[in-house]
Amino acid sequence: MADIPRRVPVAAPLAESAWRVRARRWRELLTATLANPTTVIGLVLIIGMLAVALFAPLLTEPNTPDPYQMPRDWGALNEPPGTPGHLLGTTNTGGDVLYGIIWGARTSLRLSLIVVSITAVVGVAVGSLAGFSGGRIDEILMRIVDVFLSIPELIFALAIAAVLGPSFRNIILALAVVFWVKYARIMRAQIIHIKKNDYVDAARVIGDSGWRIYATDVLPNSITPVIVQATLDMGHIVLVGATLSFIGLAEAGLAEWGVLVSEGQAGISAGRWWASTFPGLMVFLWALAFNLVGDGLRDVLDPRTESAR
Amino acid sequence: MQIRDYVLRRLLILPLLVVGTSLIVFSLTRIGGSPIGIYLSHEMDDQEVAQLEERFHLDDPLPVQYVYWATGVLRGDLGWSGVAAAPVTQVFPAKLTASMELAIASAIVAVVLGISLGTYAGARRNRLPDHITRIFSISGASMPLFWFAILLLIVFWVNLGWFPVGRSNAEIFHSIPHPTGMYTIDALLAFDLTALRDALWHLALPAITLGYGATAIIARMMRSSLVEELQEDYVDAARAKGLPERLVLKRHARRNALIPTVTVIGLTFGFLLQGAVVAEIIFQWPGLGRWMADAVLRGDQATIMAYVMFTSVLFLFVNLAVDVVYAYLDRRVVLGE
Amino acid sequence: MTPPRAPAADVIATVTDLRVHFRAKGGTVHAVDGVSFDIRDGETLGLVGETGCGKSVTARSFLRLVPMPPGIAAGGSIMFGPERVDLTTADDRTLRRIRGDRIAMIFQDPAKALNPALTVRDQIAEVFSEHRVPDVLARAGIGPATADGWLLRRRAARRARLPERFALALPPLRSRSAAIDRALDDMIADALAETQIPNPRKVMDRYPHELSGGMRQRVMISQALACNPALLIADEPTTALDVTVQARIIELIRDLQQRHDTAVLYISHDLSLVRWVCDRVAVMYAGRIVEAGPTAQVLADPQHPYTRGLLAAVPSATHRRGELVAIEGTVPELIDPPPSCRFAGRCAHAAPACRRRDPILAPVADGHEVACFLHHPPDDADADDLPTADWVAR
Repeated sequence: MADIPRRVPVAAPLAESAWRVRARRWRELLTATLANPTTVIGLVLIIGMLAVALFAPLLTEPNTPDPYQMPRDWGALNEPPGTPGHLLGTTNTGGDVLYGIIWGARTSLRLSLIVVSITAVVGVAVGSLAGFSGGRIDEILMRIVDVFLSIPELIFALAIAAVLGPSFRNIILALAVVFWVKYARIMRAQIIHIKKNDYVDAARVIGDSGWRIYATDVLPNSITPVIVQATLDMGHIVLVGATLSFIGLAEAGLAEWGVLVSEGQAGISAGRWWASTFPGLMVFLWALAFNLVGDGLRDVLDPRTESAR
Repeated sequence: MQIRDYVLRRLLILPLLVVGTSLIVFSLTRIGGSPIGIYLSHEMDDQEVAQLEERFHLDDPLPVQYVYWATGVLRGDLGWSGVAAAPVTQVFPAKLTASMELAIASAIVAVVLGISLGTYAGARRNRLPDHITRIFSISGASMPLFWFAILLLIVFWVNLGWFPVGRSNAEIFHSIPHPTGMYTIDALLAFDLTALRDALWHLALPAITLGYGATAIIARMMRSSLVEELQEDYVDAARAKGLPERLVLKRHARRNALIPTVTVIGLTFGFLLQGAVVAEIIFQWPGLGRWMADAVLRGDQATIMAYVMFTSVLFLFVNLAVDVVYAYLDRRVVLGE
Repeated sequence: MTPPRAPAADVIATVTDLRVHFRAKGGTVHAVDGVSFDIRDGETLGLVGETGCGKSVTARSFLRLVPMPPGIAAGGSIMFGPERVDLTTADDRTLRRIRGDRIAMIFQDPAKALNPALTVRDQIAEVFSEHRVPDVLARAGIGPATADGWLLRRRAARRARLPERFALALPPLRSRSAAIDRALDDMIADALAETQIPNPRKVMDRYPHELSGGMRQRVMISQALACNPALLIADEPTTALDVTVQARIIELIRDLQQRHDTAVLYISHDLSLVRWVCDRVAVMYAGRIVEAGPTAQVLADPQHPYTRGLLAAVPSATHRRGELVAIEGTVPELIDPPPSCRFAGRCAHAAPACRRRDPILAPVADGHEVACFLHHPPDDADADDLPTADWVAR
C-alpha cells in the first residue's frame, strides 16, 4: 500500500475537464451495461432486427406498387414452410410469410420510432413546464395527465383508432395520444427532485438564464429515466400496435406482424399454423429485446440495493 | 392522521378524474361520425331521428351537448349497440359476468403462482430457480397475448384436443339454472359435476393465457421485494433467535414482502382488463372484450364509449382501493418511520 | 493452521485466528484476518474500532450470520461452551439450538431489527417456542405425558399447521390451548418486566413502530435475555438512540448482566462508552486486533499507536482547547493485502520492518497484549529498519 500523503494541497487544480469527466462516465456506463449477459442478448437481437428492417429492400424483392402491402400469389396459397421460394410458407392470399416478417420489421421500426419520438418530446416538454412552473399550471397539467392515465392504455388507443377509422396512420396517432403522459410524469418528478438540490440555485446565483440552466444542468441529469422509458417503449409500442392491428384496425393485407397473425387465424383449425406463428414470434422477440436492454439500462443508470450488492 | 388525509385527498380527486374521462369519451363521440350515432338504431325512422337530435340538443354549442350526454349516461341511457342489436345497458350485465368469471379465474392463477414463484426465486437469489423465474418474468412482460393465445390454441386445441374453445357446450350449459351468471359458480350451486367440468375445461385455456402475463408481473415484484426484505436486520435477528430458515422466510421475510406486492395488484388488474379483449376474441369468450372488439370493427360507437367509460371508472376505483390498502398496511411508510 | 488456544477454566468462548473474507469485484476482501481473543464467564468484553474494521463481522460470525456467498470462511475457529463446540463448523441443528438460547444478539437499530409486521408478543413468543417448550407446557399445567401432547406441543412451539390449529380450537383441546397462550403471555410479560418496561401487558400488544426508540431497544434486550443466555452479543446497541436514552440502556445492560451472570461481547466505535461498560477491551483495526487488555489499563496506558491516536482524538475535559487531533489518512484497502502492519500507512512511527510482515499479538504486561513492532520487534530485522517511539522503553 503506497504511502498516503500527509497533506492535500488546498487549491488543487481540477484533474480533468468537465467534458472528460462526462465522457468517462458514459464509457463506464457502457461497460457496466455490457457486463450484463441478458442485456447483451437484447442488444444483439435489436441489432439483428434493425438490420433486417433497414436492409429489407435488399433482402427480398419489394412488392409493387406498395412494398408495405403483402404480395399476392394466387398460385401459391397456403404453402407450408419449406416450400421452395417460401422458407416460412405462405398465407391464405399467397403472401410470402418471410416477406411479411422482413417488411413487418420495417413497419415496426417506423411505428416505434415515430411514436416514441413524438411522445418523448411532447411528454418531456409538458413535464418540464409543469415541473418548472409549479403552482396552478402544474396542478392543471398533472390533472390532465392523471385523467389520461386513468384510462387503460390499450382500450384508450383502441377507442381512438376505432373512432378515427382503421388505418395504420391512425394507429400511430392513437398511440401517440395515449403514451406521452408517462414522459410528462417522469420529467416532472425529475425536475422537482432537482429543484430541491442546490446546484440549480447556484447556477441562478451565477446568473445563468432559465434556458441555459435547463439545457446544461437540468436536462442532462434528468434524461436517464427518460432514456430508459424510451427504450422500453420502443418494444411496448410495437406490442400494442400489433395488438391493435390484430384486432383489425389496420388496413387489410398490410405487411405488419399483427395483421399477419390475424389473417393467419382462419387457417389454424385446419392445421395451418405458420402464417400466425412466425409473425407473432417476431413481435415477441422485438418486445423482448427492448425489454432486456431497457432493464439492463435501468439497472446501470438507477442502481438500487439489488445490483449494488 | 396521515392515512385519513391521504384517503380523503384521493377520494376528492376521484370525481374530477371521472369527469375528465367522460370529457375525453365525449370528444371521441364527436370526432367519430354522427354525434347521435350511439343512439341510432336501424329501426328508427326519420321522425325518431329528429326527436333524438332535439333531445340531445345538437344545435346547441358543445358544452351544452356534453351536459345532455352526461345526464343521459347517468340516467342509464348508454345508446344502442349495433353489434348486439339491443340497448347497451340491456346486454351489458350478461357480458360483464362472463368477463368477470374469466378475470377472477385468471387472477387466482396469477396470484397463487406468482407469489409462490416469486418467493421461491427470491429465497434462492442468483441461483438457477432465480434465473429461470427472471426469464419467465421478462418473457411474460414481452409476450404478445394474441400470439401466446394462438400458440396455446394450436397445441392444446388443434393438436392435442385437450381443451375446448368458447365458453361452454351449449347443451350442458342450458341444462342448469344460472342464478349468478357465472358458469362455474352456477354449476357448483347446482351440484352438477358435468357442468362444472364443462365450465372449468372451457375456462382453462383463456385463464392460463391471461394468467401467464399477470403471473410474470406478480412473480417479479414478489421476488424483488423478498430480496430486499431478506437484507433487513430483522431477518438476521430472527435467525439469531434460532428459528429454522423456513420460518424465517415465511413468517418474517415473506409477510413483509407481500405488502409492496399488493401494489402490483392494481397493475395486474389493468393487465387482465386489457388482455381480456384479445383473449376473448381468440377463445371466443362471450364477454365485454369480444363485444368491444366487434364494436370496433363495425363502428358500434355506443358500445365503444360505454366500454371505455366503464373500464376507466373501474380502473380508477381499483387503483384507489389498492393505494389505500397499501397505505394502511405499510405502517412503516405512512406513519413516518 | 493455528491450534485453538487452551482456555482458562472460566472462559466461555475462545476465538482463534478467525478469518472471514469476502469475494468482491477486485479480489478478496480480508475483512477479518486473524483475530483471536477469549471471553470469560460473566465479563463484558468490548470490541472497538472504526467502521469497516471487521468488528461486526467478527460478532456475527459467532452466530454464523455472515452471508456465505459473498462471505468466505477462510479459517480459524470459535470454541464455545464447556462442550467446546466450534461455532464456525457446527451443523445447522446444533447452531440453531445455541442461537437465541445460549448465545443471543441485540442489534444496532431496534427499529430495523424488530419485525414491523409482528407484535412484540409474537416476536418474544418465538424465542420461548423455539427453546422452552417444556417450560411453557409446565406453566400451562399440561403434563408431558398426555395423549394429545404432540398437538399441544406443536402449538407451544408455534408450529401448528392450519388443520392442526382447527383441531386445537375444538372444545376438548381448546381450554388447554388457551392455557398455553396464557402461559406464553406470562413468560413474555416477565421478560419485558425484567427490562423495566412499564405496563408490559400493554406493550406486548403493540407493534414496534408504535414504541419509542428506547422502548424498542428494551424489547430487543428482553427478547435476547428471555432464555438466559450465557453470552450476549451487543452490536452497537446504543448508536441509534438519543444520548439520554443511551445512558439508561447501558445501565440496564450492566444491571441485567450482573444479575444473570451473562457474558457480553460489546461492539462499539465509541471509546468513551466502552470506558463505562467493559471490563476488558480489544481494539480492532483493518481486520486485526492491535491491542487488548483490561479497559482501565488500556485506556490509561495505551501501547499501540492506533489506540493512542484514538484516545487523543476523543475530546475530553483534559484536552486543551482548540486541539482536536485527528488520525491522518484513512483505513487501507483490504483487498488481497500483502504481509504488513495494516496501520503502517497512518502510523507516525512506521519503519521499513513494519511494511514487510504482520505483527503478532503478544503480551506487554499482565493481561495486556499489543501487536506492534515497537514492543516486539522481529528477530531477523536490521536495527535501522525498526520503528522507535519516545513513549516506549527499550
